[in-house]
This record gives sequence, C-alpha cells and structure tokens, in this order.
Amino acid sequence: MKKLSFSTLLTTSLMTLSATLGVAFSSATLAAETLNVYTYDAFASDWGPGPKIKANFEKECGCELNFVALDSSVGILSRAQFEGKSSQADVLLGLDLNLMEAAKKSGLLAEHDVNTSAVTIAGGWKDNVFVPFDQGNFAFVYNSEILKNPPTSLKDIVDNQNLRVIYQDPRTSTPGLGLLLWMKSVYGDDAAAAWGRLASHTVTVTKSWSDAYGLFLKGEADVVLSYTTSPAYHIVAEGVTKYKAAQASEGLYPQIEVAAMMKSAPNPELAKRFMQFILEPGFQSTVATGNWMLPVVKLNEALPAAFDSALQPTKVLTLPAGDVATNRKAWVNEWLNATTR
Amino acid sequence: MLFFSAVKGLLPALLGVGFFLFMGAASLAALLRYSDISSWSEYLYDPYLWRVVRFSLWQALLSSGISLLIAIPVASCLIHRQFRGRAILLQLFAVSMVVPTIVAILGLVVVYGRTGWLSQLFGVQIPLYGLVGILLAHVFFNMPLAVRLLLQGYGLIPSGQWRQASQLGFSRWSAFRLIEWHYMKKVLPGAFVLIFMLCFSSFAVVLSLGGGPKSSTLEVAIYQALRFDFDLNKASFLSLLQVSICTLFAVVVYRIAPINQQDASVLAVKSYPVKDTFLAKGADCIALLCVLVLVIPPFLAIFDPIFSPLFLTTLLSSGLWQAVLVSLKIALPAAIISLLLGVCFVVLARFCMARHYLRVLPSKLEHLGNMILMVPGLVIATGLFLWLRDLDWGFQSSYWIVVWVNAVMALPFVLRALMPVLYQQERRFRNLYLSLGIRSWSRWCLEWSLIRASMAQAFGYALLLSLGDMGVIALFGSQGLVSLPLYLFQLIGSYRLEEGACVAVVLISLCLILFYCSSRFIGGKADSGKMAGGRSLVNH
Repeated sequence: MKKLSFSTLLTTSLMTLSATLGVAFSSATLAAETLNVYTYDAFASDWGPGPKIKANFEKECGCELNFVALDSSVGILSRAQFEGKSSQADVLLGLDLNLMEAAKKSGLLAEHDVNTSAVTIAGGWKDNVFVPFDQGNFAFVYNSEILKNPPTSLKDIVDNQNLRVIYQDPRTSTPGLGLLLWMKSVYGDDAAAAWGRLASHTVTVTKSWSDAYGLFLKGEADVVLSYTTSPAYHIVAEGVTKYKAAQASEGLYPQIEVAAMMKSAPNPELAKRFMQFILEPGFQSTVATGNWMLPVVKLNEALPAAFDSALQPTKVLTLPAGDVATNRKAWVNEWLNATTR
Repeated sequence: MLFFSAVKGLLPALLGVGFFLFMGAASLAALLRYSDISSWSEYLYDPYLWRVVRFSLWQALLSSGISLLIAIPVASCLIHRQFRGRAILLQLFAVSMVVPTIVAILGLVVVYGRTGWLSQLFGVQIPLYGLVGILLAHVFFNMPLAVRLLLQGYGLIPSGQWRQASQLGFSRWSAFRLIEWHYMKKVLPGAFVLIFMLCFSSFAVVLSLGGGPKSSTLEVAIYQALRFDFDLNKASFLSLLQVSICTLFAVVVYRIAPINQQDASVLAVKSYPVKDTFLAKGADCIALLCVLVLVIPPFLAIFDPIFSPLFLTTLLSSGLWQAVLVSLKIALPAAIISLLLGVCFVVLARFCMARHYLRVLPSKLEHLGNMILMVPGLVIATGLFLWLRDLDWGFQSSYWIVVWVNAVMALPFVLRALMPVLYQQERRFRNLYLSLGIRSWSRWCLEWSLIRASMAQAFGYALLLSLGDMGVIALFGSQGLVSLPLYLFQLIGSYRLEEGACVAVVLISLCLILFYCSSRFIGGKADSGKMAGGRSLVNH
C-alpha cells in the first residue's frame, strides 16, 4: 500500500522550491572589511549620531562601518550573549556604567589599549575593558507652559499625587535602571515605600526611552524620565523652549555610556582602530547634537548655547559599581514587588 | 506482510513527524543543558512571578469567557437570519483571526486611544494601557474565531431536528435551549481551551497594550528573561511552568466536558425557519451591535491612512519593500513546511484510523500537533538556536529557525483545517478504495477536488500567521532580517504612528491578497468564495 508517493513527490518538490527561494533571497555575505558595531536603534537611526560617525570613520579606515541596531542598550548585551562566540559583532556601543559588571562577567569582552587620560568625566576614567563615549545626567523633563509649579526634587515627584509620571522599565532600559539607582541612593531602605507612592500616579512604565518620551510629547504625562540635556534638543533642533528639566535638590544621577570590543571580533584590527576613534573629534563632535548627551573629552569648538541651560547637578549621586552589580536583581525585584502590589 | 508494506509507504509521513519530534526534543534539550535545574526552587518563592501567573490566568479566563459569551448569540443570529452584509461579515471573521497582531493593535489604538475616534466623537476615555486594552484586543481576535468554531458545531445538527422545531413552532429561545445548546456545549470546551491558550501565551498584545509590569503575562516574562537578562535558566523554568499550567487547564476542561465527536454529517444541511419573536429580534440586534462595536471599527481604522498624503511617500520608501521581501521570504517557506507537516500528520492519522489496534493514535497525533500552542515559540526558537550554535552553525541559521518555528506554530491551525475533511474522505471511501485497489497517487487525485478547499485554507492560515509573526522575529530580527511586522513595530516604537499606520495597510493588503490567491489557486474557483465561511452549511 504505497499511498504516500504523492506526498513524497510533494515533499521533494516543495523542499527544493523553498530551498531555492531561501538561497535566492538570502542577502550577500558581508565583505571582509566590514566593522560590525552593535548599538541601540536611536543611536544608529537617521536622526541619531550614527550616520555621521559612519561617514567620518569610513573616510579614514577605508572600510565599511555597519551599525546593527538593536531595540535597547540592554538588548545589545543580551544579543551578544545569545550569539556567543559565533557573534558577528566587533564592537558593542551603548552599554552604560551600570551594566559594565554584568557585561564583563559574560567573558565576551576584550581589553582595550586606548589612552583614556584625556577623558573629562569627574574622577577620571580607569577601566581596561570599556571606553566611555558620552555622559549626562538623568532628569525629569516637563512642559513649562503646562506645568506652572514644576517639581524641584525627586521627593516632589514621588509624593505629588497630581503629577502624571512616565518612566522606563529598569529591566529593559538604562534610564529606567538609572532611576532605580537614583531612588535607591536618595531613599535607601525606604525605596520600596517610595516606589509604591510613585506607582499610584504613574501613567505607564515603558519598555524603552523612546516609547516614554514619545508618549510624553503627545501629552500623556506631566513629567517623563529623560536627561538634563533633552531640553537642548528641543531648542537646537526645533526652536522650542518650553521643555525644561526639573531640578533635583537631592542631586542628580549620572549616566555614562560606554563601548567595548568583543574577544571574538571578526575584525580585531578595525575594532581596535574604532575604539581609539571613539575619543577622537570625529566621534565626540557628533555626540552633543546627535545623541543629545555631553562629550567625554574637551573639544575645540564650544557646544551650542542651549547646552548651557543643561542643569549643573548640585551633587552627583553615584552608587559604587560593585554594589550595583551585586544588588541589581534584588533592587529590580523590590521595584517589581512595590509597583505591582 | 501487508502491514509492513503499508508502513514502508508511510515512511515519508513518519519521517516528517519524526523530524518534528526530533527538532522539538533537541531544542528542549539544548535549553535544559544551559539551565541549572537545582536553582529552580528559588523562583517558586518569587512573589512577582506568581502575580504574573495570576494575571496571565485572569486575563486569559476573562478574554476567552467574554469572547465565547458574545460569540454564542452572534453564531445563533448568523444561523437564523439572512441580512445584507452577512456574507461579508463571515469573510471578515475568517480574516480577523489571522490579522497580524501588531496591525490590530494599531487599529485598536486609533479607535480607543486617548486621541482616538471614541474620545473624539463621544469624549469617552478608556484606559487602554492595561487590562482593558488587553481584553479589547483579545476579544477582537478571538470572538470571530469562537463564532466560526460554534458554526462548525451547528453543522452537526441534523436537518430533521430543525424541521421538527419548525413544525412544532419553536421560538428562538426554545430552539436554542432544546436543540442548539446540546450541540454547542460539545464545541464550547474545545473552543474555550483553544482561546484560553492563545490568550494565555499572548505576547505582542500584552507588550504593547499592557502598560508596564503590573499587567504582564508569563510569555512576556519569558521574553524579558531571554531578550534582556539572557537568563536561560529562568526562561526554561518559566516556559516549563507555562506548559504545565496550560496542560493542567486543558486536562481539567476536557475531563469535565462532554466529548466532541467528529460526526460524518458535515455535508450541506438544509435548515427550516423557526418562529421569530420580538425578543429574538432584540437579542440578535444586541449581538450584532457587539460585533459592530468590537470588530468593525478597528478594521476600518486600519484602512483609514489610505487617504493620508503620507501613504504615497511611505509606499516609496525602500525600507518598506525590503521588509515585504523579508516577510515573503519567511512566510512562503514556512507555510509550505507547515502544510507538509500537516499532511504528514493527517496521513499517519488516517492510516491509524482504519486499524482497530491503533484507534487511539489519531487523537494523540492531533494533540501532539496542538502541543505547540502550549510551548512558547520564543522558547523553541531559543533552544533551536543554542543547539545549532553549539553545532557551530552560527547566526546564519537564524533565518531558517524563524521559518521553522513559524511553520510549527501554524501547525495546530493547519491540522484544524485539514483533519475533519480528510477524515471524512477516509470514512466515505475507504471500503471503495480497498475493493478497487486504489492507492497512493490515485487516491489523492480522486480526492483532490474534495480536499483542495481545506488545503487552501490550511495554507492560507499558515501563510498569514507567519506573515504576521511578531514573537520569533522579535528575538532574531536585526538589520537584514526585518520583516514587515517588525518594521511596523520599530516605527510605532519611535512614535512615527502615522507612517506605521500606512505600513499596516500594506501588511494587511498583502495578507488579503495572499489569502485570496491561495484560496483561488489552491482552492479552485468554485470554492474560493465558500472557503471563508468554512462549511457550506454556513451559507445555506
């Protein structure tokens, strides 16, 4: 009873068909002289610093710089871990201070030999794996035409039940993680209770910074977690002055974004060259008006005047990296439990 | 000897099902290899996890409950009444089940969002981000599915019963109570379990409309564990938990529910009118109003941007066509593989059906194919990727993983479309085949005209499901592998909603065109219209 020869025929013919389709459609393999940089989508997008950096770097390296845009900075690391040694990534660009320990632990990153003595970050920079590429401070941004009595401290934001707040999920975005640490450094052991009070007037907790900021611009909230430099974007790019960053009398929490190269980089020489390039003007000059963050080295030309209005923190709160690494999971759980009760 | 030669003929089908099992086992093994089972007990004490489980259960119960509650009067109304637009409504129901999630979400936001139609026209504000949004989306998807499943149940009612009801002057209510309900309650548990599972493992809806950790599901937790923490250990634990909960749920429901016997009376049924009453008219109006409010507006909203000037500029962007190409490149092979797998399953099931000692196997095979509804697609994809990575196949394999997982995910729907019709042919012609010695190729040739409509339906479903996939592609997607839904998701993510809406029109048009083509070219001319209605009786 050979009733299956039809399906055999079908199988073989269709398999061949689908295989042909696959081969015909699959993209050409990457050329040898391509540097793959994994980054987050806002960085690589047309309106981000990515295209300029690509042009500047390609001018001098005679290679192709290929940005692989992933949905978030946390996503960059997990994608690299997911791919492991088979990863095509040469450089990971866009992790931050608080993810450094976790990233180092993955064992995927190589040491750099970049001279970081010119870095202007307070306290200098001493890390043999990561090179910083921009810096800023987290702050809540508001529309000064609507909000007449803006908050002046983090406690104001947490306790003012009339304020509609949007912030980001600390598990999936670096600003969200920044707020988690900011809250921790201000409230310490009382953070859980503070999260509870904040939760009662939170509109939504978004997956990424762009989700949150987009909702804020559409008028869904009074304040949104962003950066002290965000108003500069509206001034320079749009000529709009109504958006302002709220003061925080307790002090601001900093963000320093970093890059590192992969041990298994397919193009280690190009990757090394790129790591150097990060601190050069070709990269650093794009940071302010591309990524709307502050450069990490002194540049010859001054920043646009709009950046002068970026709040100077009264105090910079930073938790030790070791503490962050050991307690991150516990603190995220504390937040989860406090906000979902 | 006859048995062995038959088994030899079954070889391709056995290989197909075997390959399916092997791939499943291999990905599971790969995932377990990366996890530390001894640490799993600590997760059990995580209160957040249990809150997520509770919410997943709660929203799935509500979603499936509401969907069925609305579907029952709607199905009854569609059976008893002829009205203008009824055929279109049935077509719409066929498509809405497989509308890409992300497109439907967009439609829902346009209708129910803060600046949406509802708030513009009536000034009504709905808290869309949270349970309400999730329920709206789930009912939009699953109520039409429930109606279609119930209509299949109606198909089992012999025309004699309708005739009697007509002669005795039954009102709609007595007809429902004395006839329809008996058949409906056989279909309801299956429909309930199916919709429950679809909602329990809902992913894109919850991620977009959930609005934060408060209303998160287990599937989203798995996505977070994989995509952001890269915690394989936790992901394995969570997916095992999900499988256990779904299995437990299915077992409990099937235990307490009457068995749904596949009847052979699927041929066209003649129906007789029952007495119409004022009350029945009112009830039908309310049922149709529900449909009008819940299903139609999001559909219209999807097509709204055609009139915007942005539509043309969007059509001209190369990113869009790149994404269309990637989507086709994923969906076509996935649908072909899914159909092949489905045929393998059915061939085996038909073989076993005829043999008394293998009687239990067909339903077991069907359950095996449906198992995939319980296992998160993300988990299969991850396991598969880890396994291939260990074999040093690297990231190049990710395209094939996306194709395979999409094919497997569509399998339950393919089986649902194929099995009843193919079983029926086996029952009808088996003895004839045996006595005339008709086998293999000739059998398929003889049956082709009878089964091609279901084949087309199965293919169409697989095609559309893969075309709209947001789960697996979200795990692997990056430059070079951006499908249309992912492209759409990226646009929405950066709040270029208007452009996203235009892309959604392209996606849904592509779906409709492909669905039409597959029913027209595989299903044949005569059946293409009927297909969407499912069974011929629906169009009586």
